[in-house]
Amino acid sequence: MRHRLSIAAAIATAVAAGGAAHAETVITQWDQFAQSGITAAGPAMDELIATCKPALGGATVLRTIAPSIGIRESYRLAVSAGKTPDLAYTWPAASVLAGYARIGALAPLDAYYAQYGWPQVNEFYKGRNSYGGEIFAVPMEQDLMGVYYNRDLFNEKGLAVPTTYEEFLALAETLKDEGIVPVSFGNRDRWPATNTFSLILGLTAGLEAEQDVFFGDTPWTNPAFRAAAENFQDWAERGLFPRGFNGIGYDEANALFLSGRAAMTITGTWVLQDMIRGAEFDLGVFMLPPMADGVPSGTMWGEGSQWQLSATASDDVKDAAAAYLDCLLSDASREVWVTKGHTVTIGTTPEELSAWGADPVVQEFFGAGLATAGTNFYDLHTTLPESVTQVLYPELQRLVGGDATADEFLEAMQAAWQAAIDNGERWIP
Amino acid sequence: MFTTRVAYLFLLPALLLYGAFVLVPVGQVVAFSFFAWDNGVATGFAGLDNFVRLAGDDVFWAALGHNVIWVVLTLVFPLTAGLVLAAILAERSARTIRWLGAIYFIPRTIPLVVAGIIWGWIYNPIFGLLNYALEAVGLGGLAGAWLADQDSALISLNVVGAWTFFGFCVVIYLAAIQSIDPSLYEAADIDGAKWRHKFRHITVPLLRGTTLFLGLYASIEAMRFFDLVWVTTQGGPGYATEVLTTHVYKTFFLVGDFGYAAALSVVLLAIVLTISALAFSLLRAR
Repeated sequence: MRHRLSIAAAIATAVAAGGAAHAETVITQWDQFAQSGITAAGPAMDELIATCKPALGGATVLRTIAPSIGIRESYRLAVSAGKTPDLAYTWPAASVLAGYARIGALAPLDAYYAQYGWPQVNEFYKGRNSYGGEIFAVPMEQDLMGVYYNRDLFNEKGLAVPTTYEEFLALAETLKDEGIVPVSFGNRDRWPATNTFSLILGLTAGLEAEQDVFFGDTPWTNPAFRAAAENFQDWAERGLFPRGFNGIGYDEANALFLSGRAAMTITGTWVLQDMIRGAEFDLGVFMLPPMADGVPSGTMWGEGSQWQLSATASDDVKDAAAAYLDCLLSDASREVWVTKGHTVTIGTTPEELSAWGADPVVQEFFGAGLATAGTNFYDLHTTLPESVTQVLYPELQRLVGGDATADEFLEAMQAAWQAAIDNGERWIP
Repeated sequence: MFTTRVAYLFLLPALLLYGAFVLVPVGQVVAFSFFAWDNGVATGFAGLDNFVRLAGDDVFWAALGHNVIWVVLTLVFPLTAGLVLAAILAERSARTIRWLGAIYFIPRTIPLVVAGIIWGWIYNPIFGLLNYALEAVGLGGLAGAWLADQDSALISLNVVGAWTFFGFCVVIYLAAIQSIDPSLYEAADIDGAKWRHKFRHITVPLLRGTTLFLGLYASIEAMRFFDLVWVTTQGGPGYATEVLTTHVYKTFFLVGDFGYAAALSVVLLAIVLTISALAFSLLRAR
């Protein structure tokens, strides 16, 4: 009897200990802030978790770093298994985020927006993070596409930054004649061409033509989109890219540029950290000029990734996570993101970048990108549902590899697009 | 004395593990295939819709075609090379057999993911060893973008697969050749038979069972391989190296259409089980 009592006491103690552990609020956080590579703002994230500890009200953050390329798959598996992390910083927003909201995996954040304001998240960004009239995420970074170039090489060869598309093509020809790869580009990972094509599409078709397709009834097989597809294919045919670009990895393409063997590379601000660290030459940035008459200057932009809360998190966890997010988005934190993470948060102005002593390349990139805020255009990654993206990836490889015509590419895209619309997957802000 | 009941008791742990980790997941996948899914959440019963969809899925048929090509290429090259090498090796000293057998087998011990990464570097269009070597010997005109070209990608990948598999064939064939009665070769020698005659009329016929085993094993492996393609091309360029497993992976993990991915998996399972059944019946018939 005594023995049984001691076992019961031990069980009771264990249960009590478990209860005490449950009393502590733990926020499970998944983010992509690694130490190097894409979105290499890991040290800034670590610093901000420590800085924001008072805002957590006794809660703690249990952080897991998920590589940005794989986090889409990891997050989907977690959601399907009912193990959605309380707080996740993942991508893409818009159509993919809407998919999770549609199945009830995410918590609506309207009440927290009302409580904290987050005025930097303007209507454009709110729209990209909404579904069914509710907001489901807090976007943080601004992502822009631009042209990184080797300023030393340009100076050595007496080359100037192009201000028109014709000048850009002429510049590429000059570089080719010099035996230099004009644009470092690698699409073995399949996704890089989507960003490049997003930029070409916006600069060829323009924002309004994009909206007519993405949110209206205009098919992909329209003349403006055809011109964009032809432009992309034309780049490959002209030899702007290195040989075998469909067999070159994204990191290898960046390395080719950083090694000085390519004069330019066209990618986004998500590799600013690595570019700044890796360039042993004077690194410059410019925006690609419009590629068709009547299309205004602009660039592909978006929020990159966004913070989202699990619908299954307890109210305590949600409240603590919202307070924590408010801290991460504060002015003081934004300065840390910029100066130590080379990550520019939404709402940061060029003046702030200057005042905070941000790297000149960061200032140059965002100064140019934010100057065209009214005409910047969509990132296909965030605008298309995954089912369409998974058709876009191989079809772009075929297009740019010369294995499909512009018409064949657009017909394949239209078929996938129509199937997604019929399936209720289209996101409309 | 062990009774049948005791024998089953000994089998029980393994059967339970097999049931928990093979039969139940397979059953789940079959069940998944009859439902419609949205981002990993079942939204309703779909009947046979997911299977009907297969008929109009061009990527599925392309992937299946690539699997079949892979089977044929695997049967032709690694098996032939393995047979010839084993036959040559069998006539060397025991020490040579031991050393060369081990060397040939080394690629088999390398995980396909690692082999894929290594060969990805070898084939790389900007710093790859293959193009460098071709240029070094004056054959720069033959240099290419091996994995980036639709026409060469699948063949180039198959070379990697063959590289990892032929050593296994050598070792299996070698063991089989060494079990052939030497008096058959001695009799052939007395009759003045040349090497090629002995190979054709003694070695090859007597290795029929081994060839059958290796062929069926290679066929099953060729239907279910994934890692090599994923780390090198992810099924690209375009759909040039798409195989059934990569199509399943993309549909499941990237699109989140669990129902259709499950239907694809069921079809793949049916193909592999059919080949396996064929293998068992043929091997038992001998």
